[in-house]
Amino acid sequence: MPSLSLPRVLGGRKLTFASSNFRIRNLTPSNQSQEAVTRVSPKDQHLAPGGAPLGGGRPASPATQGTPPRAIWSRPRCPPPARAAQWHVLGPARRKMAASVCALPLWPRVVPWSRELPGAWRALHTSAVCAKNRAARVRVGKGDKPVTYEEAHPPHYIAHRKGWLSLHTGNLDGEEHAAERTVEDFFLRKFMLGTFPGCLADQLVLKRRANQVEICALVLRQLPAHKFYFLVGYSETLLSHFYKCPVRLHLQTVPAKVVYKYI
Amino acid sequence: MAAGASARCLSVRGALRLPLRCRWAGVCEPERGCRFYSKSAALPKDEGTDVTGIEQVVIPKKKTWDKVAVLQALASTVNRDPTAVPYTFQDDPYLIPTSSVESRSFLLAKKSGENAAKFIINSHPKYFQKDIAEPHIPCLMPEYFEPQIEDVSEAALKERIKLKKVKAAVDMFDQLLQAGTAVSLETTNSLLDLLCYYGDQEPPADFYFQQTEKSEELEQTTEENNKRASVKAAHQAGVTWKARNNAERIFALMPEKTARSYCTMIRGMVKHRAYAQALDLYTELLNSRLRADVHTFNALIEARALMANEKFEEKWNGMLELLKHMSVQKVKPNLQTFNTLLKCLRRFHAFGRMPALQTLREMKAIGIEPSLATYHHIIQVFYQPGSSAKAPSLIIYDIVNELAGKAFSPKDLDDDMFFQSAMSVCSSLRDLELAYEVHGLLNTGDNRKFIGPDLRRNFYYSKFFGLLCLMEHIDVTLKWYKDLIPSVFFPHSQVLIGLLQALDVANRLEVIPQIWKDSKEYGHTYRSNLREEILMLMARDKHPAELQAAFADCAADIRSTYESQEARQTAPDWPATPLNCVAILLLRAGRTQEAWLVVAPTRDRAI
Repeated sequence: MPSLSLPRVLGGRKLTFASSNFRIRNLTPSNQSQEAVTRVSPKDQHLAPGGAPLGGGRPASPATQGTPPRAIWSRPRCPPPARAAQWHVLGPARRKMAASVCALPLWPRVVPWSRELPGAWRALHTSAVCAKNRAARVRVGKGDKPVTYEEAHPPHYIAHRKGWLSLHTGNLDGEEHAAERTVEDFFLRKFMLGTFPGCLADQLVLKRRANQVEICALVLRQLPAHKFYFLVGYSETLLSHFYKCPVRLHLQTVPAKVVYKYI
Repeated sequence: MAAGASARCLSVRGALRLPLRCRWAGVCEPERGCRFYSKSAALPKDEGTDVTGIEQVVIPKKKTWDKVAVLQALASTVNRDPTAVPYTFQDDPYLIPTSSVESRSFLLAKKSGENAAKFIINSHPKYFQKDIAEPHIPCLMPEYFEPQIEDVSEAALKERIKLKKVKAAVDMFDQLLQAGTAVSLETTNSLLDLLCYYGDQEPPADFYFQQTEKSEELEQTTEENNKRASVKAAHQAGVTWKARNNAERIFALMPEKTARSYCTMIRGMVKHRAYAQALDLYTELLNSRLRADVHTFNALIEARALMANEKFEEKWNGMLELLKHMSVQKVKPNLQTFNTLLKCLRRFHAFGRMPALQTLREMKAIGIEPSLATYHHIIQVFYQPGSSAKAPSLIIYDIVNELAGKAFSPKDLDDDMFFQSAMSVCSSLRDLELAYEVHGLLNTGDNRKFIGPDLRRNFYYSKFFGLLCLMEHIDVTLKWYKDLIPSVFFPHSQVLIGLLQALDVANRLEVIPQIWKDSKEYGHTYRSNLREEILMLMARDKHPAELQAAFADCAADIRSTYESQEARQTAPDWPATPLNCVAILLLRAGRTQEAWLVVAPTRDRAI
């Protein structure tokens, strides 16, 4: 089978050569059949699933039937929903490329490079994108970045090496208002971040017990103690009036951020 | 009380447990009941036989418990933690106060934070309207301080009275009169109430901090000066009743005056020290054939006692006359009446003793239960601070015997002064047993809340601990030291010097380095008298070697405090005696180099 090469690198996507997704066919008038060749006419290049396959499908035009056999990409017939999903999942770049391909339906796109070697081109395979997980992770650096225990452990360590930062019964079976608790948590964290500027050494721990909210904060010793008491009295009163329930603040001071390791 | 509650709990639970033990729900057979209550585990012989002495199952009356009964029972099992600070402070070494000044400033800072939050909440009430609390909590809703009704009407006047806007209310009243609308009697009376209560001034804006300002004046004075200073402060801080002020003007304008109007005016005048006018108004009241209520009589008694230019007997006769009026008008006296009588008798010095006892007997005869304030006034009558010539009275013993084991509830504003005066009497009498009894009374039930604000609590415990240092065995004293300090009060340097002298008497000088370390934590690092006392005690005699080494370390530490103090202030001169002691102690421990540095310092300094 002649090899195929693609004219451009499809940035970031996995390319494999000559996988089963693509088959190279030499079109001759005699072989042309519904099963062997899948074609997309210019009219229905944007057809939804159920029609002919889209996207990477390289149309074989009937106009080129009579010419000498050309390397034409064809795609095996896939179940339409998957194809459609791929169409949507793969993102605008691929769609753009495919659209540009479909804009010139009569010409097989991979031709430019293979003009030197007609019939010899390689297949590159691009698979679905699998983005790296970035949630709540501190990326590894040169070894000079101090991280706390909380930051150092990604979220899959919750319940193994980490506890929870917000404790309430809203997520238990049969309990309600979990969303309200989450919104309250978010507000409380923002509020505390602003009220104790530059003093919070770690994430807050919010505990809900009966009708009370207990905010446990680890603070640095940036302010003199009476200023801390002022802020404590202020936040407790304001938050109690806002949420109509007793809100208590428990502070623990540390001289500096507690470093677990350097990454 | 707690033991009774828990016993009742157990019996109720025991009665409730019966149905659980039975196989079938419903009334259990008596045998089962017998089996449950009997101590032995033996079964009754036959199910059918009639066991002698069988009791009818008496279903007790359903008990209603207070909502917090379980919490109270649990709380009664927990004692004070002597290593913890009061719960208002954050439990963190950086945030725990180390002296009484710091504890006050932290509490004031917290309170001012709360005031700041309340200010913001009341200025933007629309953000705090969403009410998700079930049931509704009124104290967590924003308050409205500005009057909403703007037009000239009686409703607007009522609103301003409710919001305590004195000037605005008077203006509104005048506008209403000019407009010709008659203001109802009820509203006029409530306006008079407002004016008389505040003495025609606006209510003080910073009334949270008023009490603390007064106590700041008292902080440096001893107990004898306390009373004079408090009286002076009251005179300076209080408002004087001005003649022809708004209250009198409105009173004169009223078409008909009820007894309530007269009473309010009299009470306002007495509160703002216009005694003669108050008594004149009272005669007017009598002429109008109206009756005064008990609060007015209390105010009049006070007015009679505080009028100047009269002798004690005349004043006392005047007060008795008022009491006779009270009985003629069939007004029942209350606790405040007798407390006011006793408070005024305090000023009569020696003359007041007999009348005070008469008052107390009268009170018991009528059946009014005396409160702690009553006993406080009696103590003040009998134990005048100035007079120490005669033998001191023994009434304190009777008082403490009578009060033993009683739990009190707050009934009078002066209830929290009892323990302070009782302990000061114990201290002056040098009676330790009595002090223990008073302290036991403090720990009975809920009496702890009568200890009063910070200043009084410090005073009480200073006196108590001073007495312990003088009279008690040193081991017990040290136990009390660990228990009381610093969780209950921060000691003055005088208290610590008393403790040091007690250690000296008991020959337990090895504790001194520990005391020095503790006093640094309580803010006495730069207290000269304390340091000199410690150094003198350590340097006086020779001691065995390891003790000497400990003393030398302590002395070096004290010396470093002298040096750091000098670094902060410019060129004070070092006193000679402490330097000598430091040098001696260092030499005895063999640290000659340092001793040499002490004696012949490298900097020029006049010794």
